[in-house]
Amino acid sequence: MEIQHWRIRDRYYRLVGSKCMQCGAEFFPPVYTCKKCGSEKIKDKEMPKTGRILAYTILHEPLPGFEAQAPFYLAIVKLENGAKILTQVVDSPEGSIKTGAKVRATIRRAMVDGDSGQIIYGYKFVVET
Amino acid sequence: MSRSKVYVSSVGFTDIADHWNKSLLDLAVEASRSALNGWSKKKPDQIIVGNMFSAVGARQEHLGAIVTAGLGLMGTPAFKVEAACSSGGSAFNVGYNLVRSGAIESALIVGVEKMRDLEPEEVSQALAMAESAEYTQFVGATFAALNGLLARYYMEQLGVTRDELSSIPVIDHANAVNAKHAQFRKAISPEVVGRSQMIADPLRLFDCAPVGDGAAAVLLANDSAVSGSKRRMAEVLGGKISTNDFSIYERDDMLDFKSTRMAFKGAMQEAGLAPGKLSLVEIHDAFSVVGALSLEAMGFSKRGHGSKDAKAGKYSPESELPINTFGGLKARGHPVGATGVYQIAEAYLQLTDQAGKNQVEGAKYAATQNIGGVDTTSAVHVFGRAA
Repeated sequence: MEIQHWRIRDRYYRLVGSKCMQCGAEFFPPVYTCKKCGSEKIKDKEMPKTGRILAYTILHEPLPGFEAQAPFYLAIVKLENGAKILTQVVDSPEGSIKTGAKVRATIRRAMVDGDSGQIIYGYKFVVET
Repeated sequence: MSRSKVYVSSVGFTDIADHWNKSLLDLAVEASRSALNGWSKKKPDQIIVGNMFSAVGARQEHLGAIVTAGLGLMGTPAFKVEAACSSGGSAFNVGYNLVRSGAIESALIVGVEKMRDLEPEEVSQALAMAESAEYTQFVGATFAALNGLLARYYMEQLGVTRDELSSIPVIDHANAVNAKHAQFRKAISPEVVGRSQMIADPLRLFDCAPVGDGAAAVLLANDSAVSGSKRRMAEVLGGKISTNDFSIYERDDMLDFKSTRMAFKGAMQEAGLAPGKLSLVEIHDAFSVVGALSLEAMGFSKRGHGSKDAKAGKYSPESELPINTFGGLKARGHPVGATGVYQIAEAYLQLTDQAGKNQVEGAKYAATQNIGGVDTTSAVHVFGRAA
């Protein structure tokens, strides 16, 4: 199964999303077809690493493989280019994770594969202080 | 040649419960036999099974053929339709369009889900497969988590209170008290919802539909398939499926349930009916916030007012537009792939005056709304009394 994550390691490590060559809109996760103008002229584009929290939740019962991290904060972060990303928010001062907070991308241990025990790394965000 | 009318000519369903002694196939056959019982033709032209995760939940695929063989109807074309939690409504839509087109005269639609054999975290995993493996499951997010994010956004952006959010689960539980097939037949107060265990802040246990096993079946038939029948029928007046940007975080406005909005509009247009004519609506409130946003998307409530209107009594049994007349997803239950078919069976009971203590007096038209994902797919159908 882990080839599924290996294949898109650039997206997990460097936030490589998409840019529409027709209208300039940027997306993360990447797209095949532009959601704004319908163009299929799409190129890979590294996303900006900062944005603001649009909404957040505290998840008490996560998916299998994430139990050791629970409870944890999940947020939808609007990046500076307008792309929106679903991410964990970690290692931030008590009470700082809230709507509107400025956050920055970082690399963390994301999950442990249930079958192989392999550790998969990926993006998480921290509140900028 | 004018198109034949399409009817739901009978329904059958199991209770929604922890069916420890019944398998996926046991449930599907029981509901199907109940729907087919007494039908003179005996053999539908097509069998379609609505199911979301039998491969994970019961290590069983190829449901069309195995259910058909279980019914002793070998030879009948059969397959499964999967569209996450809207599998049941989607399976029905395929059958409806096949019968409506004249290609076939009748179809048996069976929705079935076996959830309770799994551990709770395995259920979360199976449900999460309706979301992106690479970008939603990868961050540990469950369905409840996405709906928790949505609920926080809804409350903060539009000024909705905890107490207001609790109002749809309260209606559901009150309506389920007299619903024999419902999973939870106990009335609750808003305080019970607001004090229940935190699942994905701000969503609590009683904001979320439960996990249960069940199967529901309906028989679709045109005029010739029901000729001479004295059975009580409901007419299918319209039905549409629509889809949205895949995940909520990919949408420009995540409070706009576009799938539901478009499917509802299309289904009502096909029915040639103004929304004000509806006597009741079965809505897909897998989470309290989803119920509220669904009522807004269908235009019954203004933006931000779905829960507020519910609290003010707009959707109560004695109101102009009762919702979830047998308890909805929260209290009747939500065996995911079967839910859309339960909703249709319930609309049928209302329109044929067989709803018992839950009868909406003089019900003339009903709509059902069945969502997969967080409004990623929406299947809406509209029914009327058979003339």
